Amino acid sequence: MSQQNPLTLVTPIKPERLAELYKVLSNMKYRLEKGEHELFEKNNNIHYLRWLVIDDENSVFFNGTKKNPKLVFSSNFDGEVLAHIADLSSDMEHQLLDEIYSCCIDYPEPDNCNAKTRAAFLKKSMIKVSAFYKGSPGRSLKQIREEQDLRMYLRKKLDTENWSGLTAQQIHRQLKKDVRENAAFSFLNKKYSMPKINWFKFALLVIVLLALLPIIIIWILIVEFAYERKDVHYTKTRSDLDADKIKILEEYEDLTSGEDLSKEEQAIDGVLVKDKVINYQNQFSQLVEMKEGKVRLITFKAMMLFAKTLIPIKFVEGELMGIPTIHFARWVLFDDNKRVLFFSNFDGSWQQYLGDFIDQSGWGLTGIFSNTKVFPKTRFLLTGGAYDEEHFLAWSRDSELPTQIWYSAYPSLSIKNINNNTQIRVLFSKNLNAKKAKKLFELI
Amino acid sequence: MQTIELKDVQGYIFRAYGNMKYSRFTLLKISNPEAAKKWINSICNQITNATIVAKDQLPETCLNIAFAPNGLSALGLSQENINTFPPPFKEGMTTIHRTSLLGDIDSSSPENWLWGGLKNAPVQLVLLVFGKDKATCLAYYNLLKAEFESHGLEEQRNLDGLTLKDNKEHFGFRDGIAQPIIKGSGRIGPEHNTVHPGEFVLGYKNNYKVYPDSPTIDKPQGNMNLLPPSPLKTGKKDLGKNGSYFIIRQMQQDVEGFWNFMNDRTRNEDGSINEAESAKLASKMVGRWPSGAPLSKFPDKDPGGTSDENDFLYAKDDPKGLKCPFGSHLRRMNPRDSFETDTPKKSLLLSNRHRLIRRARLYGDPIIGTPTNNKPKGDVGLYFNCFSADISRQFEFLQYTWSNYPKIKQLYSDPDPIIGVVENPKEEEEQQFTLQGDPINKTEKNLQRFITIKGGAYFFFPSITTIRYICSL
Repeated sequence: MSQQNPLTLVTPIKPERLAELYKVLSNMKYRLEKGEHELFEKNNNIHYLRWLVIDDENSVFFNGTKKNPKLVFSSNFDGEVLAHIADLSSDMEHQLLDEIYSCCIDYPEPDNCNAKTRAAFLKKSMIKVSAFYKGSPGRSLKQIREEQDLRMYLRKKLDTENWSGLTAQQIHRQLKKDVRENAAFSFLNKKYSMPKINWFKFALLVIVLLALLPIIIIWILIVEFAYERKDVHYTKTRSDLDADKIKILEEYEDLTSGEDLSKEEQAIDGVLVKDKVINYQNQFSQLVEMKEGKVRLITFKAMMLFAKTLIPIKFVEGELMGIPTIHFARWVLFDDNKRVLFFSNFDGSWQQYLGDFIDQSGWGLTGIFSNTKVFPKTRFLLTGGAYDEEHFLAWSRDSELPTQIWYSAYPSLSIKNINNNTQIRVLFSKNLNAKKAKKLFELI
Repeated sequence: MQTIELKDVQGYIFRAYGNMKYSRFTLLKISNPEAAKKWINSICNQITNATIVAKDQLPETCLNIAFAPNGLSALGLSQENINTFPPPFKEGMTTIHRTSLLGDIDSSSPENWLWGGLKNAPVQLVLLVFGKDKATCLAYYNLLKAEFESHGLEEQRNLDGLTLKDNKEHFGFRDGIAQPIIKGSGRIGPEHNTVHPGEFVLGYKNNYKVYPDSPTIDKPQGNMNLLPPSPLKTGKKDLGKNGSYFIIRQMQQDVEGFWNFMNDRTRNEDGSINEAESAKLASKMVGRWPSGAPLSKFPDKDPGGTSDENDFLYAKDDPKGLKCPFGSHLRRMNPRDSFETDTPKKSLLLSNRHRLIRRARLYGDPIIGTPTNNKPKGDVGLYFNCFSADISRQFEFLQYTWSNYPKIKQLYSDPDPIIGVVENPKEEEEQQFTLQGDPINKTEKNLQRFITIKGGAYFFFPSITTIRYICSL
């Protein structure tokens, strides 16, 4: 089974090279929009990646910050992180890497720039994730694509041949024969089973939590009375948000905007004809500051530990706390535990995504984000917070950042599609009774 | 329960004006704000409110008014105060972002619109004039119109709407059956179809049990005493209370294309039209039969007559979409108790957070399409008019997430077959309609787009008090 892993890099930018870096990024965005993503396809193991600039004092998102600008990179890939770094640093992608990271502090000088020194630089910039969620655990990019091919093949067979009068079992047997003769589906010889909820570990976790309940209750009371009630809370609504910020964020949601491309660049590459299409996937990048003090940090870390433990036990079937649209998500505590980055890759629109959060998992988000500055007011971590729809939506938008580069290896597959495809594959490979065979064809 | 101040709410939100067979929505341009305000103030007592009227006392005419951001600005509402409106209203329907979200691309692009588009004069305000018949409506309109010129108002465009027999739309289906019931509106209905007033009227709590975002007065102007305090923003006056957002979309219908498609996909072996199968395919895509009868209750054929049947759910009657396909227009626009993979109870909770009050009016040749009668004279279509308190969570969500987005339930490439199909899809992009079946699902490939958006705008539909306030600026 393949292991999907996250990599997060935070690298300080040479302030004098910031403008140049933006240009490199916008150029790459332009190329991606035109469909040139061979670079990220080469190793056939990158699901998603993104770059974004933070702490730029001239950006409306960081108005006059005193911090130095930094470049954040995030990827979701198959295999070991060191192998991924080696891939990125190898001959294959070094040009891109050099172009981008030569704008960053401490990147190897040209005369000393090779796979080894690049990898050493990247390793130094690595930040550990606090918690990580994957919507299709265990599936490599290759497997996701193969299973989509299988589903497409089966659908086409069903659409183009005459199956009338046959039972589901008979159709299944016939299709199996066809597939067996097709070399493209030799991957079916490898057995695969869907990840399952580990109810035993889940029960253990519940028992541990029950045992800790008195401490948890006391802790929540301390947080509520000694901290939460004295904190500054978020009171804006969506209509209060900075229109310029919203406009920029919306542009980055429209993958095909290309609006950030400078005039000069357009003259070189020709004007990007906007291919008006509707997107079915999107990204969310968020940066928030931790509230001061140990109590908040401990609460946050406890929530992260809880998430880290719970996710691989419980949320392995394509839904995170009931949200069925997330491919990958991560929380990263960085900057001396002072700030938190949250990244996700999701299906559908921002409104749908955030709506899902409120509808399905308000308590989880409240538990985590009420430890960060200026969050909507909560009561005992139970009500308010993320359940306070209007304020929460505004807060989410307000703490969101533009993502200069975003790449998805399968922009037309939803996480539901991916998991459905695996279910089809698993069922299809088996010998099925009448009931199971029916179930299989409901999925196709 | 929250009591709604029905007398202050403009009537069209709660009342469909069923007896108003003809309407004229006139887009007005303000050339003299002072005079215009005087006149609008003078018609305030004619504006129809939301109080319930006994059947035998229904009026012969109705009147309502709504404002676009540009109109509010023309009448003197300061930019600071306009900025307190939510982003979709402020930005309008025609930004690149909304165009992509709403699917207004290709022929439906705002560049080609007849009004409200990128090449049209900005929309300012719309006067909604109704009459029990065409003559009554136009007589009332002309009475009002006589005052336009002397009050600095210019007629920009008239959107004339009508209703057809049995409330059918041009494709031939009875429309407007499922409307949510609002708690406290004086109307009652099944609990699963009932929502909190804040879903449609600002100043009341919504289905999340919080107050919806509502415009306020940030910079004092006008007669502030008229306005109530904002429940959401301490110390501010609430401009939105008892108001709503009114959305108009002019949707041209290709009746001939629609029925040609259905006929072609269902022809008899000898090539002749199979009327029953053609109508059945169309009904599968719509989710109701032409009579309005829901497929989940009448899966095999149209019981005929007219049906107002709305007290039905999916989870028990049709969990696998074998009767009413998952991808049908109706099931997408209101999944009721069968939302994604959620339990029926949770499904209802979630579905009811994305409802609209629809007020469609038709235009053009009064044709009611069938497999064999589908050639209208000239352009026909409908003004898809609707109300919501949160444009983003309700109208835009429905149009994007439930209509244009092809991946609801376990579907892969199924946009809403009636309103979500892309005219010129990307190469290799499949657009299909899946008919859940036993033992295998069937698909209708290469769907076609049968509607073209020809105009549209977001309007603020203020309370009568707020209209008076605007006139005090």
